[in-house]
Amino acid sequence: MNRHTDTEVGTETTQVQRMLPAIVLQLMNYVLILLLALAIGALIIASSGKDPLTAYAALFHGAFGSRMAVANTLDRSTVMILAGLAAVFAFSTSVRNLGIEGQLYAGAFVAAWVGFGIQALPAPLHIALAFVLSAVAGAAWSLVPILLRTRWGVDEIVPSLMFNYIAIHFTAYLVAFPFKSDTTILPGTDPINATAKLPRLMRGSPLNVGFALALVLVFVVYWFLFRTKQGYELRMVGMNPRFAAYAGLPVKRSALMGMLLSGAMAGIGGASLILGFFGRFITQFSQGYGWDGIVISLLAKNNPIAVIPAALFYAGLANGSLEMQSATQVPITLVSTIKGVIMFLVTAQFFLRYLSKRYPQWA
Amino acid sequence: MGIADSLSRLINVALFASSLRMTTPVLYATLGGIFSAEAGVLNVGLEGLMIVGAFFAIVGSVTFGSAWAGLLVAVLACVILSFLFAAVHLEWGADEMIVGLALNVLGYGLTTYLLLVMFNVAGYYSSDTIVGFELIRIPLVHDLPLVGEILSGQFALVYLAFLSVAVTYFFLYRTPWGFWLRSVGESPEAAEAVGINLRLMKYTGVLVGGAFCGAGGAFLSLAHLNLFSEGMTAGRGFLALAAVNFGERKPLKCMVAALIFGFTDALAIRLQRFGLPSQVVLMLPYIATVVILTLSAIQGIAAQRARLAAKG
Amino acid sequence: MLGITKQFPGVLANDDVDLIVQKGEIRAIVGENGAGKTTLMRILYGLEMADQGAIRVKGHTVTIPSARAAIALGIGMVHQHFRLVPSFTVAENVVLGMEPRQGMVYDEDKAKEEVQELSEQYGLTVDPDVRVMDVSVGEQQRVEILRALFRKADILILDEPTAVLTDSETHELFAILRRLAQKGLTILFISHKLREVLAISDNTTVMRDGRVVGTVKTSETTARELSEMIIGRETLESAQRDRSAIEPGEPVLELQDVSVYDVRGLLAVKSVSLEVHGGEILGVAGVEGNGQLELAEAITGLRPCVQGRIVLLGKDIQNLPVRQIREAGVAHIPADRHAMGMAVDALVWENLCATRYHEPGFSGRMALAMDRILSESDSLIEEFDVRTPTLQCPARNLSGGNMQKLVVARELGPGQARLVVAAQPTRGIDIAGTEAIRNMLMDYASRGAGVLLLSADLDEILAISDRVVVMYGGRVADIGRVDASTRDKIGRAMTGAEV
Repeated sequence: MNRHTDTEVGTETTQVQRMLPAIVLQLMNYVLILLLALAIGALIIASSGKDPLTAYAALFHGAFGSRMAVANTLDRSTVMILAGLAAVFAFSTSVRNLGIEGQLYAGAFVAAWVGFGIQALPAPLHIALAFVLSAVAGAAWSLVPILLRTRWGVDEIVPSLMFNYIAIHFTAYLVAFPFKSDTTILPGTDPINATAKLPRLMRGSPLNVGFALALVLVFVVYWFLFRTKQGYELRMVGMNPRFAAYAGLPVKRSALMGMLLSGAMAGIGGASLILGFFGRFITQFSQGYGWDGIVISLLAKNNPIAVIPAALFYAGLANGSLEMQSATQVPITLVSTIKGVIMFLVTAQFFLRYLSKRYPQWA
Repeated sequence: MGIADSLSRLINVALFASSLRMTTPVLYATLGGIFSAEAGVLNVGLEGLMIVGAFFAIVGSVTFGSAWAGLLVAVLACVILSFLFAAVHLEWGADEMIVGLALNVLGYGLTTYLLLVMFNVAGYYSSDTIVGFELIRIPLVHDLPLVGEILSGQFALVYLAFLSVAVTYFFLYRTPWGFWLRSVGESPEAAEAVGINLRLMKYTGVLVGGAFCGAGGAFLSLAHLNLFSEGMTAGRGFLALAAVNFGERKPLKCMVAALIFGFTDALAIRLQRFGLPSQVVLMLPYIATVVILTLSAIQGIAAQRARLAAKG
Repeated sequence: MLGITKQFPGVLANDDVDLIVQKGEIRAIVGENGAGKTTLMRILYGLEMADQGAIRVKGHTVTIPSARAAIALGIGMVHQHFRLVPSFTVAENVVLGMEPRQGMVYDEDKAKEEVQELSEQYGLTVDPDVRVMDVSVGEQQRVEILRALFRKADILILDEPTAVLTDSETHELFAILRRLAQKGLTILFISHKLREVLAISDNTTVMRDGRVVGTVKTSETTARELSEMIIGRETLESAQRDRSAIEPGEPVLELQDVSVYDVRGLLAVKSVSLEVHGGEILGVAGVEGNGQLELAEAITGLRPCVQGRIVLLGKDIQNLPVRQIREAGVAHIPADRHAMGMAVDALVWENLCATRYHEPGFSGRMALAMDRILSESDSLIEEFDVRTPTLQCPARNLSGGNMQKLVVARELGPGQARLVVAAQPTRGIDIAGTEAIRNMLMDYASRGAGVLLLSADLDEILAISDRVVVMYGGRVADIGRVDASTRDKIGRAMTGAEV
């Protein structure tokens, strides 16, 4: 029975102090899961006749082993951070947006279009316009699934999933016919103008302003979700929609807003790839970043700030796997397998139970 | 070419015959989804299971030199994977939707990786060593006008799929175990009160579901085509989810949804031959799914309103 | 059951409990919430395992690790919240788990036949073919009983069986129980309704705080004696309304011919008219399931009102958005505090500010004024004695009583409501908490607000209401001001008879 009579107002420091042990426990959990997943990966590598240690050394080196590697990893994490934020918006309000990948495509295409279609605009404005319109595109792409839910009660899982495929095929069509480019053999649009390109942050690496933008957005999203009334509404609706309705909160509007913001963020993510890396829209530009975003938000437990380390981790894996493949011929798809294993273990809270028992005072 | 002419070239007996063929993989996954859902476990990983099934069907076929062996290996692989899914969800309390997604990621990743490691190719694997299924010609039926071409000359797995619908209905609604399974999904507290083993039933539902997905995948790689290519399931596992939703887990109704998808798929392929760009045509099944789900929801609301109005 | 001990995290649910019951006996087990009665019965039915102690059934020492084992021993349980499968028929529910079959196929005819036989043998009328979801509450309970009998139970446990029954249904149930006991069944009956316990049981076991206080022969004891055993001290005069000082003011709430549908599309509130005046507490008596929920939801904007007017201080509020209704001066203490009254995963302060965060002082166009919100939350938990270590912990960490106090703090704290709709406000709350909440409601009324109290607890209604109406079958019967005859009038009205 709760016999505490301590009613001190939880100031920020004491709150964090109270939460620290639980955070440490969670971190230990993640570390152990990572080790287990790597061990399983090592088994798979070994079974195909290669040496796991050299493979992993290459993996790590490719991810964080040099200045260039770190820069590349940071660059790759940009879209993952944005996709993670997209997932955080949706899942915070209990909207199961599985269409982030498609929304990424929508934003990416529109960014490319604005990039090459608009001339004579000074760089900052051109970039800003591209991002804004790609956010709108991503939001628009998420509109139908959420409307189906608020208007007719259709579960958004399947419709949002369907829109992924619709996006992929539709953009493929656009690139094959109306927007077919004469400048490239690959299916893609015309290249964007120089004024739309995101300025590089480090010579010799693709790391660009997009990364800084992603970081800024992390804090904006955190502020929005935890310090504004709209964010509060979003989260309360996610935690208990019946309670939210009973208290007078705008339930449907919050679900709608959460989804649209999610789509918008995904659109920005897609744009960042086009404006920062590819320089044009090509059909296979995304390696499942939308799905990575969903897992990242899961790892971060819907906390925007925790999205950063989770995204860096995933980006490191992706980068490192390239070096691993070129150095040791271990294929990059091994990493997808490891990701799958990690997802399984994380959702099972695999070590958390054991750790909580071992260190109950921290639980 | 007149409109009537074009239409008759588009909509003919062969279209319906190929519809049945295109329905089959979705139907298998749908039945798998039904079993899982009736046990109370929403499995969004049907897609991952199917692709694993498709891959291991090839493995089995190549290793043992027979299509049926391939089917068996596919089913086995999917059952094992479903077991993992069930264990993580039931023993460790993981959220079923996320584990389902993990299943998809794992399925795709694993098959791509194994494709490289086992067959040394990327993208797709096709070879003479793959023994696929043969078409079956049913003697008397084949000569029937119109329906003959539709009902005969299909793969064995096609017939089995539709037979499975009946078997599923029978099992769920006419046997005690079906009652047990359904009670676990609908009212676990009731099942618990009468001593039904919830865990066992849920595992059963998920494993049977996985087996069906394996069959669906095997059909794709050993009957429909004789090869494996990355991502060849193309979202059919998700279409199955939509079918389960639409049919409210009732086998017959879900079959109808699967048939609609199969029909759209078959239509899409034909439209391609008419010069419509492949990308546009490929979008059709997914758009159709959204439309169907919407119409079904609207109709459900209208029906409810009518019921309320009737009560005065 | 001897020496049964069971520890849950934080609470010793059963502490060396002995319970010895004879064959053919009707034994009542009474006690407050949390006394340990349900835990004890769950152990008997195999849903829990005791940490220590022994169980002997019909002379043999046994272990009961699961419901299956209990059923095999002839123990059956009828739960407080029915455990039936809604879409299955009555017959299918009764035979669930033990279906008669022909080979692999379910033998529907045999099942119906056996159910029919059983029903006639024990006098429990049911229709085997109807789906359980379409059947009345009383019949559903009979289905649960039949299900236990089908398994050859000769020990029957009933957990708060009359909680959802009307008086007449309760009489029917008691007749059934007496018949069953005569046929040799042993009946264990958990309840906290002393009046009923006195009516039906042979012996009564009183539990308090996990221990057995004593077992008495029912015919030799009184309600007062039992109460004392339950509470452990002389029954204090609980909060009573001082009705002499009442001077009801203007009508705060008027309902005119209001009709409301329930979730199944049936008419739950049928052309109801009533009035609540400022400064008065109007008690709506009646067993749950007669439309009270729908009535409360219609008034507070959670359910559409399809006919009639709901007028608050002269202004029509029917079918307005919830926020507007609240801003007009309505506070709502909901019946289901977990599912509706709070978000258990949200922090305490997030739960407290849910109805006011949008007001000018607490937020701007976007930003929340955290200082103001936190300090306001602080004073609320202070004033309403909500025990919590910090404002920043999730609400799920609070005990049940404190959760309800949190809800009350949020609804009554601001002090601006002109109408309080309180639905089952003290259900599942211990004595101290119940006192506190009743006092808060009376306090509020004395400041001029109107209170609409919907409660299935007759004692509560009689203790604090000024006027009473009875809700039965969606209609309302006006009983008038509370006096000595009110209890009888309520009883008659609850059976549908004219008052």
